[in-house]
Amino acid sequence: MRNLSGAVCDLASEVVSVLRDGGHRAVVSPNGQGPDAELGVAAVRVLGADVLLPSTLHRHPPAPSDLQLVREAVRTFPPGGDASVSTEWSHWAMRDALRRHDPAAAAPRPVAAEPVGAEPVGGEPVGGEPVGGEPDTAWLSRLTWQELTHQLAVLGALAVPPAVTGPSPVVAAAAPRTLDLARGFVRAVRRRDWLQAAGAGRWLAVLDSDATPVPATLGLETGLEFVLRMGGADPRVALHAHAAQLLRAGAAG
Amino acid sequence: MSTLKPETGDLQKSLETEVEAALNPGEAEGFYRDTRECLGLLLVAGAALLSPPTPRPKK
Repeated sequence: MRNLSGAVCDLASEVVSVLRDGGHRAVVSPNGQGPDAELGVAAVRVLGADVLLPSTLHRHPPAPSDLQLVREAVRTFPPGGDASVSTEWSHWAMRDALRRHDPAAAAPRPVAAEPVGAEPVGGEPVGGEPVGGEPDTAWLSRLTWQELTHQLAVLGALAVPPAVTGPSPVVAAAAPRTLDLARGFVRAVRRRDWLQAAGAGRWLAVLDSDATPVPATLGLETGLEFVLRMGGADPRVALHAHAAQLLRAGAAG
Repeated sequence: MSTLKPETGDLQKSLETEVEAALNPGEAEGFYRDTRECLGLLLVAGAALLSPPTPRPKK
């Protein structure tokens, strides 16, 4: 049996491939039944909403098999009572992606301030799992720029333009700290932490706007190219970097 | 409700732990070049390249 990190890398590699092809085919190959199928669902949970990223950025409906697996991952791995904020936000992003892509889910986006895991607060079940509110974002403003970069890179799957996905509390909370994130991007490159650099670069690509501009002196495009060249052998790095480049090119604008 | 079979409960628990860990990784150790080490190597290499050829006895 493969291990989880290997399965996540395989899945990320598939996402990159579909992302580069234009998002016209299914990301996930069916694994049938048994341990490999369970590992596949776990890998989908780890990669989170990025499994549907090609459909989101290229604005194509996702394959039904992809939707089914994301639904399964959301149901099988809900955040527990002591789950970290990253786990909660990742789960929230998957449910939000399902709501956008699944025509059968007519429920509104969760907007209440109840924590995930609490009783449903007005949303209908999506694919069988309860719909909770949004986790907290106040913690983001309390982080140092180094911690902020690390946390946002971990939550890279949430780095999608609000113009495509609708308002996102994490994007809104991160936007005022674009300069901190730019510093974090440089730090990650200097530390040769390519996964963090790619995640930070993807966030910068999403956050760059007239109101919260990324410093031109950062050279984000060149930086992303460098990160891809140095760390692109890791499919998770390639996924964030390609997503960032697509966003910079205006593919999802 | 999960569609996983009951006999895979142990695997499921193990996967849950792995998933939680994968969703909350610590920051990777930075990989820096040691500037003093690099400088030392550069000086040695420079000295080797710039040194005059070994004197040889005239014929």
